[in-house]
Amino acid sequence: MGLITEKTPIGDVQPIKFVLNWGRRYSLWVMNFGLACCAIEFIASSTAKHDFIRLGVIPFAHGPRQADLLVVAGTLTDKMAPALKRVYDQMPEPRYVISMGSCSNCGGPYWDSYSVTKGVDQLVPVDVYVPGCPPRPEALIHGIVKLQEKIAGENIREKFSGRSDDPALTS
Amino acid sequence: MAGPTIPLSPPDVEARLRARFGDDIVEFTEQFGHPVAVVSVDRYREVVSFCRDEPELDCDYLEFVGGVDRQDEGLEVVTHLFSTRHHHNVRLKVRLPADGAACPSIHDLYPGANWHERETMEMFGIEFTGHPQAVKLLLPEPFEGYPLRKDFVLMSRVAKPWPGEAEGEEGEEE
Repeated sequence: MGLITEKTPIGDVQPIKFVLNWGRRYSLWVMNFGLACCAIEFIASSTAKHDFIRLGVIPFAHGPRQADLLVVAGTLTDKMAPALKRVYDQMPEPRYVISMGSCSNCGGPYWDSYSVTKGVDQLVPVDVYVPGCPPRPEALIHGIVKLQEKIAGENIREKFSGRSDDPALTS
Repeated sequence: MAGPTIPLSPPDVEARLRARFGDDIVEFTEQFGHPVAVVSVDRYREVVSFCRDEPELDCDYLEFVGGVDRQDEGLEVVTHLFSTRHHHNVRLKVRLPADGAACPSIHDLYPGANWHERETMEMFGIEFTGHPQAVKLLLPEPFEGYPLRKDFVLMSRVAKPWPGEAEGEEGEEE
C-alpha cells in the first residue's frame, strides 16, 4: 500500500477507511521484546486458555521487519536500550508499541536503580501502557483491545502520509 | 578425584593456614560453620593456590568472587572456595583501601574468576592486577562511578527519598 496524501482522496472515503483499519487491527503481527517475567505472562496470553490469536494478534513474528506491534515486556536496562531502539527502527510503518508492566512503564520496583531505564517511552513512542507487576494475561488482552480501538479510529491519511502524534492510552 | 571425603572443620582449616602463612592470616573467624580467613594482599595468591593444591583442603571449585564496601574500613574482596571432594568451604577476604584498591587476579588459578573479577572491578572500583581483560562486564561502557559502593549517588533517590528507610537498620549486616 502506497502513501496516501492530500492528492489521493481515497483516505477520506468512509468504507475504505473502515475496511482498511478493520484489516489492520485484526492482523497484528507481534514482536515480543521479552525481558523479564512479563514475557512469561505474554506467552501465557498467547496460549490456549487466553489465546490472543482469536483477536488477530499473531505472536512470534519472524523478525521485527515482519512485525506490526512491539510488546516491550519486562525490565529494560540502559545496556539493553540500544537493542530495543534498533528493533523498533527495523519495524515498518505503521507500527505500534505496547509497554507491558511496571518496569517498562516507569521502572517499577527498580525506580531508583543505577542500571534500569525508567520507562521505555524515553526511547520509543508508546501507544498503550499496561500496568501490573506483571500484568495478568487479561490485562494484556485488554491493552490489545484498547490498541485495536485506537487503530479503528485512526485517520488513514494521517497514518500513511507521515507521523501522527496521538496521545497514548492506558489499559 | 580419588581419595576419601574428609571435610575439615574451621579450626582445622585455621591450623593449616596458620602453619603455612603465619601472620599473613590477619584474622580468622568462623561464620555459619564456614572458615573465614582475612589474608594479606601480598600473599593472597599464595593462599588461594595453597587451598587449591593442598590435598587436605583440595578446593577445586571457585564459587564466587565479590566485594564488600566497609566504608571507613575500606573495601574487601571476598573469595569463596569449595572442595567437591571434601565438601567443605573456605572463604578468603582481602582488605583494601578505598582509594586505589588493587588486588592480584586469580584468573590463572581459577579461570572462572575472570568474569567475577570484572564484575567486582566495575561495581566497586577495585583493580585486579594481572587480569587479562580488565573491561566492564555488565555495565554499559560510558557508565561512570561504582554503583555498589555505599557512597554512590542514586539520582532517583536524590529527587525522591527511599520510602523504606527504617530506624536502626544500619550496621546489622552479617
